[in-house]
Amino acid sequence: MNGRGLRSPASAAISLVVPLVLVVLTAAVGASGTPSFEETVTMILCNLIIVLGLQVFIGNSGVYSFGQLGFAASGAYIAALLTIPAIFTALQTPALPKLIADAQLSPLPSTLIAALASGLLAVVVGWPLMRTSTLAIPISTFAFLIVAYNVLANWDAVTGGTSGLVSIPRTTDVASAGLWAGVAVVIVLAFKWSASGYRLQATREDEVAARSIGIGLMRERLLAFTISAMLCGIGGALAVHESGTLAPNTFYFAASVTTITMLVVGGARSVLGAVVGTLAVATVNELLRNLEEGGHVLGLISIGEVPGLAAIGLGLILLVTMVALPDGLTGGREAGEIGPIRRRLRSPVLSTSAAAAMDQASPRSARGSAGSLRAEGISLAFSGLEVLRGVELALPPGEALGLIGPNGAGKTTLVNVLSGFQAPDSGSVFLDGVDVTSWSPARLARAGLGRTFQAALPFAGLTVAESVAVGAMGVGVGRRRAVDVAANVLERLGLSEQAQSPAGLQPPGNQRLLGIARALATGPRYLLLDEPAAGLNDEECRDLVAILRGVSEDFGCAILLIEHDMNVVMDLCSRVQVLDDGETVVVGTPEGVQAHPAVIEAYLGTSYAEGAHA
Amino acid sequence: MPDPMTELAQSLIDALALGGLYALIAIGVTLIYTVMGMMNFAQGEFIMLPAYALYLLAGVPFGVAVCAAFATGIGIAVLAERVAFRPVRNADLAAQLVTSLAVATILQNVVSATVDARAQSVATPELLSESSQVGALSIPNLEILTLALTVLVLGGLGWLLYRTRIGLEMRAAAENFEMARLLGVRANRVIAIAFAISGALAAMVGVLLVMQTGQVSPTMGLTPVLVGFIAVVIGGFGRIFGAVVGGLVLGALSSLLGTYLPDGLVPFRDAIVFSLPVAILILRPQGLLGAATGEARI
Repeated sequence: MNGRGLRSPASAAISLVVPLVLVVLTAAVGASGTPSFEETVTMILCNLIIVLGLQVFIGNSGVYSFGQLGFAASGAYIAALLTIPAIFTALQTPALPKLIADAQLSPLPSTLIAALASGLLAVVVGWPLMRTSTLAIPISTFAFLIVAYNVLANWDAVTGGTSGLVSIPRTTDVASAGLWAGVAVVIVLAFKWSASGYRLQATREDEVAARSIGIGLMRERLLAFTISAMLCGIGGALAVHESGTLAPNTFYFAASVTTITMLVVGGARSVLGAVVGTLAVATVNELLRNLEEGGHVLGLISIGEVPGLAAIGLGLILLVTMVALPDGLTGGREAGEIGPIRRRLRSPVLSTSAAAAMDQASPRSARGSAGSLRAEGISLAFSGLEVLRGVELALPPGEALGLIGPNGAGKTTLVNVLSGFQAPDSGSVFLDGVDVTSWSPARLARAGLGRTFQAALPFAGLTVAESVAVGAMGVGVGRRRAVDVAANVLERLGLSEQAQSPAGLQPPGNQRLLGIARALATGPRYLLLDEPAAGLNDEECRDLVAILRGVSEDFGCAILLIEHDMNVVMDLCSRVQVLDDGETVVVGTPEGVQAHPAVIEAYLGTSYAEGAHA
Repeated sequence: MPDPMTELAQSLIDALALGGLYALIAIGVTLIYTVMGMMNFAQGEFIMLPAYALYLLAGVPFGVAVCAAFATGIGIAVLAERVAFRPVRNADLAAQLVTSLAVATILQNVVSATVDARAQSVATPELLSESSQVGALSIPNLEILTLALTVLVLGGLGWLLYRTRIGLEMRAAAENFEMARLLGVRANRVIAIAFAISGALAAMVGVLLVMQTGQVSPTMGLTPVLVGFIAVVIGGFGRIFGAVVGGLVLGALSSLLGTYLPDGLVPFRDAIVFSLPVAILILRPQGLLGAATGEARI
């Protein structure tokens, strides 16, 4: 099957070529103008590289970092200090280490070193920052920006303090800036379409679901944060070699607002958005800046010198975008994904080779045969309310175990404990004999434990094929094989036709199947399903049972099924465990359980009738 | 030379006063976060604009100018909510944050364009620039005022939140906005009132800052808003008492570092103050007072 698989080659090519053409055109227009116009365009291209850097982190993770300009600043300072002739360095930065002070590198090595140094700084800074919560990252990165400014402005002997640096060789021209911007477009798009990029996008769409398929939030964010910082470092290094001067506030709050506006206006989720947004906002910005210096509007209204006018315009553009067009001009789509173009391209229906299908059939079943998923004495209370009281559970390989009980019996909480989303107060969970009680959901997923949720939790912004393939990528399967896995799983679940449509636009029944498909793509040996039939009609229910039975046999995975629809449980499960009020009432065959007096009283007799219409 | 004990007592009072000021900022930030889940970048400008009201009203009686400053703070907060934040009320946190960044940029630059981009100095009433002698200690009147206001605001807020109907509605909205709405909480009113109170607090901070520094500038709100954000983060999101603790910790830290840091490192005080909370966040991602939250959605 085709190598990319997740989109047609034509769509991929258009998505790559359109932003590149825009970059080339911009550079060409710049080169044909006056020298001062050329300088302006060169600066816009440098800004574009920074905005592309922002896209890598913000666009893919959905988390705003206000600190990336700090990395543009670090790149700019390092590149400047490495290229300023030694005689000027001695005057401006007396305490600079001799090695750097004497260095007078040419543009390329200085830019590369700036990129590496910014990347290194990002690892050091990001390692703690990415550990903070999704809520706290915008704030802690903002704090980093202020810290970076504070250091640059006060470390006079090395950075030249608030007065900054001058006599920096002006080596960046419109051609080199354009070339770098083109390289940046390729890097950013390649990252977005890499396994890492998809894993990060999955966390953007739904953090909880992403963790359930093995994705380590902090690791993926840190990688993107670092790549982003390197691109920002390159942008800063090139910009400083365009302007020839540098001060701590060159890449500070105002520049942060400008670049974030560019990204948001274009549409943060797409690389095309970063390019379009940068060009659109820069154009408006330049027009306003001309007005700022005084002049005439259409030769009619005369305006005096108004500082801040451009920034007011910028703020208004940002505000209007957020209110009226939150997905930006591109709607967060790449060029090859925009409506009319998309319809013109025949979407490739994912097909899988027989070899790939065989290959996929439970990659881990071989070594799991000896073990089982076991819970021992699980107890848990939420602020005094005992939800689980010494629950035992055993799920041997290949078995389908039903977990039933009235609402509030603790079924979902037990699944949360088994899958690592909730730590128990006491008791242990064993996976193949290993105590995994303290493992994270992501680690458990990588060890072969998949789960679904009561809500579908779709990766709404990804396509059906992508949101299944990312399940395989989540547990470390390479991109190409992940595509095969997705094709196989989608075929089994009858979703192949929808492969290229957005996951978020699927009908509820399909979204539910998609949740199962995503979990299956991780190649689980144990699959925990939390009410998979909720909201399905009778026909869909029958199909689901058939699919799950096939899955259990072909993929060789054990199933733990929470379900209120007794028909589904009876059809599928060889054993049933009944939970009531946090305790196991009985475990046995479906028939035996249905006849058990305690079950009839506790569950079928009282709550089942209510549960049926709930 | 004052003896070491006096010096210590003096610096503790300084620390407490700065902590009080930071707590006032943090309460303003957290009130808005509580009712609509938004971290408001423009809080800094809600502080800056009332300060400019004082600057522009130089010459009129000080009391009148202060009243005008409060009116400005409340007015701009309510206006911003109505015009900019209401349309993005249901957007995600990131979108709201960026929207407030837009509002902050606009307000900052409107002042740059209409008044001046550079800092301007403001005369302060003599009474506030003097100090009172308490035993061996000489305490600036401004610090006494700041501390008194902090206590007053905390008491007033406690009364409002726990003894009035609107306070009950605000707490309900903080717990579960949609549910509160279904049960009859008037969302628009609750949010507008939260913004008004937040604007009044910002005005109070703006006035105190002008008295402290004697100047105003369009970007004077930037550091305070970061202080407010960090205080809220280390105190635990959405917890008013947590924000107070966060503010006190940050202010005390900043003040004590200013006194006890070696001379060479004093310029880097802010860098150190803003770096330390990250350590707290790594150890306790939910903040100092935040409860460890479970997985609410699954």
